[in-house]
Amino acid sequence: MNITFTHEQMALQREVRDYMSILMTDTMREEMKDPEHFEGGGPEFRRLMKKMGKDGWIALSWPKEYGGREATPIEQYIFTEEVMKAGFPYPFLTTEAIGPVLADHGNEMVKKKVVQGILDGEVVIAIGYSEPDAGTDLASLKTRATQQANGNWLINGQKIWTSLANFSDYIWVAARTDQDAAKPHKGISMFLVPADNPGFSHTAIHTLGVRTNATYYQDLELSDEWRVGEINKGWGLITGQLNRERLSLVNHGPVYQLYQEVAEWAAANKNSDGEQLLNKAWVRGNLAKVKTGLQALRLICLKQAWAMGEGTLTMEQASAAKVYGTEFFVEAYRLLLEILGHNGLIQAGSPGAILKGKLEHRYRVGSILTFGGGCNEVQREIIAGAGLWMPRGR
Amino acid sequence: MNFSYDENQLDIKQLADKIFSELANDERQKLVDASGSRFDPELWQQLAESGLLGIAIDDSYGGMGFNFESLCLLIEEAGRYVAPVPAIHNLVSAAMPIQRYANDAIKEQYLGPIANGKTLVTATLANDNSLNAMQHSNGDWIIDGHISCVPYAVYAQAVLLSATSEQGLVILLVELNADSKTLTLVEQQSTACEPWSQLNLQQHPIAAENIIASGDKAAECQAWAQQLTIAAQCAMATGLSDKMLRMTAAYTSQREQFGRPVATFQAVGQRAADGFIDIECLRLCTQEAISLLSHSVDNSNQSVINEAVTIANIWCGDICHRLSQSSQHLHGGIGVDRDYPLHRYCLWAKQLELSLGSSASSLEQLGDQIAAEFA
Repeated sequence: MNITFTHEQMALQREVRDYMSILMTDTMREEMKDPEHFEGGGPEFRRLMKKMGKDGWIALSWPKEYGGREATPIEQYIFTEEVMKAGFPYPFLTTEAIGPVLADHGNEMVKKKVVQGILDGEVVIAIGYSEPDAGTDLASLKTRATQQANGNWLINGQKIWTSLANFSDYIWVAARTDQDAAKPHKGISMFLVPADNPGFSHTAIHTLGVRTNATYYQDLELSDEWRVGEINKGWGLITGQLNRERLSLVNHGPVYQLYQEVAEWAAANKNSDGEQLLNKAWVRGNLAKVKTGLQALRLICLKQAWAMGEGTLTMEQASAAKVYGTEFFVEAYRLLLEILGHNGLIQAGSPGAILKGKLEHRYRVGSILTFGGGCNEVQREIIAGAGLWMPRGR
Repeated sequence: MNFSYDENQLDIKQLADKIFSELANDERQKLVDASGSRFDPELWQQLAESGLLGIAIDDSYGGMGFNFESLCLLIEEAGRYVAPVPAIHNLVSAAMPIQRYANDAIKEQYLGPIANGKTLVTATLANDNSLNAMQHSNGDWIIDGHISCVPYAVYAQAVLLSATSEQGLVILLVELNADSKTLTLVEQQSTACEPWSQLNLQQHPIAAENIIASGDKAAECQAWAQQLTIAAQCAMATGLSDKMLRMTAAYTSQREQFGRPVATFQAVGQRAADGFIDIECLRLCTQEAISLLSHSVDNSNQSVINEAVTIANIWCGDICHRLSQSSQHLHGGIGVDRDYPLHRYCLWAKQLELSLGSSASSLEQLGDQIAAEFA
């Protein structure tokens, strides 16, 4: 056992860090102040994604045949951490979750047009899984796709929480293709819907933290070449995709950076009684609690990445990482925001905002994570069943 | 980056598991409990004969010459069985500093016999300044003071202690001769029924060669031995907590109420899952501390090591408490019954929780380290 980075891994960390510090421009930061473009989609975002594609970074963990560097999951984790720390709204779901599935299961047209587009930084894809009545119980989804006599598909239904759909090039849609399947997850197929299809539309949903979308598929006609994978075998593509995505889900980098910024701020600022904040026992206590939790998170993430590389990642390990990471984020935001105090609540853009209002925003976004991406109670059921062999109840 | 153990290490783990399952099972432990003292000489001898007591002792003294990380695998297994043996006190807190800091004569005298189980050396290296040492003009020393608990002193041939002196801190080895008029031991029992003794020293003479380190070296030795001891306790807590949780999962899976296994109640499964996550955190933070302590060649990353050990200790205290309480609770009445093995785990958990710094005091220490870093 040796829980330290190799020289090569440290070199990669420096390389990505240096690259991102130059890539992240003031124009990009300015563009992200617009809530519409906080998660990307603006002209500067598009320009920088193309640059990252050209410079070979998007293909980092991809096979050589795609021009990739075949980075291991640990290396990809290092890349992810540095990109997230830089604050660039990199579309990890497109490049790490859907992209590899399209490369494995897409036809030649999809590979040429979409996969190459992703690697060139020209394509962003939104995920159309959740529906108003299908959340964590995803297999109960109702959006229906019916094949016409001419082979084309007719898709009807509604999706919700389709983040990035307001600027994405495609929507990765799960639809029911067999109404009478023995089990609900056996009648699902996957489609790539071009966002310029006239049957597609979206409306904004403004959440506490970020903008997302409701998306509508109304008599949407789609050529069969946009179906990915076999008919009624879509479930395997959905669950298989939850793999590399995990490296970005609870990455410890961004919270570590916040912890550092708050500690520096506490060293430079005084409490209401005139004493330096960093001298206060409660401030030190909060920082120590965050650091203790961060250490565990860092190791959980690295072990998960390592196990992924070894092919030994278990369901319970992955679920434990998701539950721990998301609940720790919520706790960490609270502990750090306590240090900033009342003025920490001033929103970004106001003259009195502390640390550019980052924590004020983060705590609003943070609450999504514990129920998004598979509700934590369900993850705990997986842990009890797969990790502890406990029988499941109803 | 590598989270796996090598073949030698896996062999150690397997061998330890085999011996403990035969000689530290519930039936045998009931006999040990009935004897009134948590020490099983037969088990200890078996560990010695299998070579396990010498895992981290140099081969020149009859040990296996493996590193601290390998030793911690034995200790984690000892935790999994709450084995009634002084593994940490003897093999970590005493043997490791002797091996690194003592002179050749002392090493010759003690390391071989520790590895083959003939001698037991214990240690008390807290920073409580309760002992004073004075050097005679002939070079020998006189020690005065009182130590409130020395584990396994009744079975040990010597104890490693720290004392303050005009020359600064000294680390010394005191032989525990039963017939000494200047040294007295008063027997006590810890919450987990471990034999802890009060030690009183009145003008007790110590030969100069029994001084293991003095001055800066002594401070370094004490800090290092404490860190190894904390890390080893965390390893023991990992094995112990993991076993508590597995016992709980197995018990609730077969115990029925309202016509179905208790484990099928969601609240039970959720609480057990929280335990699983807790243990994963403790295990990983412990592995990092142990890995750093085992592989560091110089003091260049001392602050990283300090932080890793302190963080592991915080997790250790929290998880020992949480897992012990949730395991007892989910077991119901049988969890507190002394006829059922869980009680031993819970008592040990409390002991590990408070040894060498509680979570609260470690958190303060970490907060101070952070403040120094950012000030």
